[in-house]
Amino acid sequence: MTCKSTPLDVNVSNVTVTYNNGHTALHDASFHLRHGSICALVGVNGSGKSTLFKAIMGFVRPSRGSVTIGGRPVKEAQKKNWVAYVPQSEEVDWTFPVSVWDVVMMGRYGFMNFLRIPRAEDKRLVRESLERVKMWDFRDRQIGELSGGQKKRVFLARALAQGGRVILLDEPFTGVDVKTEAAIIDLLRELREAGHIMLVSTHNLGSVPEFCDQVVLINRTVLAFGPTEEVFTQANLTLAFGGVLRHFQFDQSTVDDTDGRAVTLLTDDERPVVLGRGGHLEHRLAKEKKQGDPS
Amino acid sequence: MIEQLSIPFQYEYMLKAIFVSALIGGVCAFLSCFVTLKGWSLMGDALSHSIVPGVAVAVMLGLPFAVGAFFAGLLAAAAMGFVKAKTPIREDATIGVVFTAFFALGLLLISLYPTGFNLRTIVFGNMLGIADFDILQAIIICGVAMAVLLAKWKDLLLFCFDPNQARSIGLNTTALHFVLLALLSAVAVAALQAVGACLVVAMLVTPGATAYLLTDRFGKMLGIASAMGVLTSAAGAYASYFLDGSVGGCIVVLQTSLFLLALAFAPKHGMLAARRAGRKAITNTLQEASA
Repeated sequence: MTCKSTPLDVNVSNVTVTYNNGHTALHDASFHLRHGSICALVGVNGSGKSTLFKAIMGFVRPSRGSVTIGGRPVKEAQKKNWVAYVPQSEEVDWTFPVSVWDVVMMGRYGFMNFLRIPRAEDKRLVRESLERVKMWDFRDRQIGELSGGQKKRVFLARALAQGGRVILLDEPFTGVDVKTEAAIIDLLRELREAGHIMLVSTHNLGSVPEFCDQVVLINRTVLAFGPTEEVFTQANLTLAFGGVLRHFQFDQSTVDDTDGRAVTLLTDDERPVVLGRGGHLEHRLAKEKKQGDPS
Repeated sequence: MIEQLSIPFQYEYMLKAIFVSALIGGVCAFLSCFVTLKGWSLMGDALSHSIVPGVAVAVMLGLPFAVGAFFAGLLAAAAMGFVKAKTPIREDATIGVVFTAFFALGLLLISLYPTGFNLRTIVFGNMLGIADFDILQAIIICGVAMAVLLAKWKDLLLFCFDPNQARSIGLNTTALHFVLLALLSAVAVAALQAVGACLVVAMLVTPGATAYLLTDRFGKMLGIASAMGVLTSAAGAYASYFLDGSVGGCIVVLQTSLFLLALAFAPKHGMLAARRAGRKAITNTLQEASA
């Protein structure tokens, strides 16, 4: 399932999206995603993240500018099943009477005949995808009987079965415990190695430096775009979030007086972003885990 | 005794009623799986009432009533879509306003311009007096609807489950939406003859809801619902002979009985199963605590 064929890229240039009611959700947005990369899409609610996703999936047509994938228009990329979407958990009806296997098989519909009868090839790819996300043993479960992380992995498997080379993930870490988050991040890294392009919309700021090589900061337009360590600065985050983020001011605490650099920062749910003097990102990439690590 | 039970089969009108009911019941039930999962139960009710003015106009013009009914149904669906898109009114209110308006218009037309087609037939159905032309109409509608459903049920399933995914792999979701609406209108027209406008929605919801309680695989749900639709409709028409009661009433009461049985005894989603699971969980917790 590695991308043997020619490398793809995603090019969003000067995209403006205005809805029928006259609301301009996105204005003059530009960025470029290269083959084998993970990019975070970060912004407040209503900043145009979902509009951007829709533009890349071809659900809305930009009133100005264009989105191209591998140099081709979105419609063409859609026909080739290049763009896959991993929905937010809240968007899925988990009580629906479908099994894990059924959901992943839905990723193959685009390749099937009129009656959508799966061939051996389709079944093989579904199996491979499920094995890759370590969900093969759960194939007969109804989807509501899975944990948060397992649910995510099923939809990732569907994206893989679809042969999606550009994978859009909407809030992949909500409702997922810390261990599963790490497992998903490992999987995304593997996919990056295999040449996939991933665009991850997330509120979980602290996880971004962990696995994203690039960041797009948006608020109705692209505020900043580039490598994570350059874009993830206090100035840019303040620009993107205004006063919406909670601050913990180290220089106003007793940290400096008593502990110097030996401080442990704990958080219950989301990882914190730690910014140093002058607002640069305090992050050193941990050594990547060995392949096949059970976590 | 056996002679007694076979009496209905000696009458041609009973045989016709049983056959047509079973056919309509089966197609309605197949469609009901999509209706219940898509959350369109209210929409089904609305469409079945909205087709009444279409029937009235068609009869006045001497057209087959199915034609008028079908267009009235689509017009009502379009009107609901329009109001929903243009105003911030919630969907249930929109449906309520539109379908009652259509139904009222139908009543008004029928009372102002009385024709051979009487109101009782539309509202309560008239299976036992069904004309041969109407049987043919029902067979054609059910045949076409079933062919479309069998060919496209997987696409419709994906559309109900995850419209975004359907769109992103290049399925035309607008067309699928329209297909499902058109099927709903067409089948409601056929069912109108059997059970009447008031009870159509039962045939379009109850089998799907019952099957949903009994399985969590969509394929099995289709099978269970269809079998239930065919059997209850045939049995309902048959029983109506002995009870001397309304065919629609018999069918829907039978379906509801099966629903109640499923509600109580379904292996996983039934009320007894839920209670068993609850008790087991408590016992387990107690055992763990004492261990």
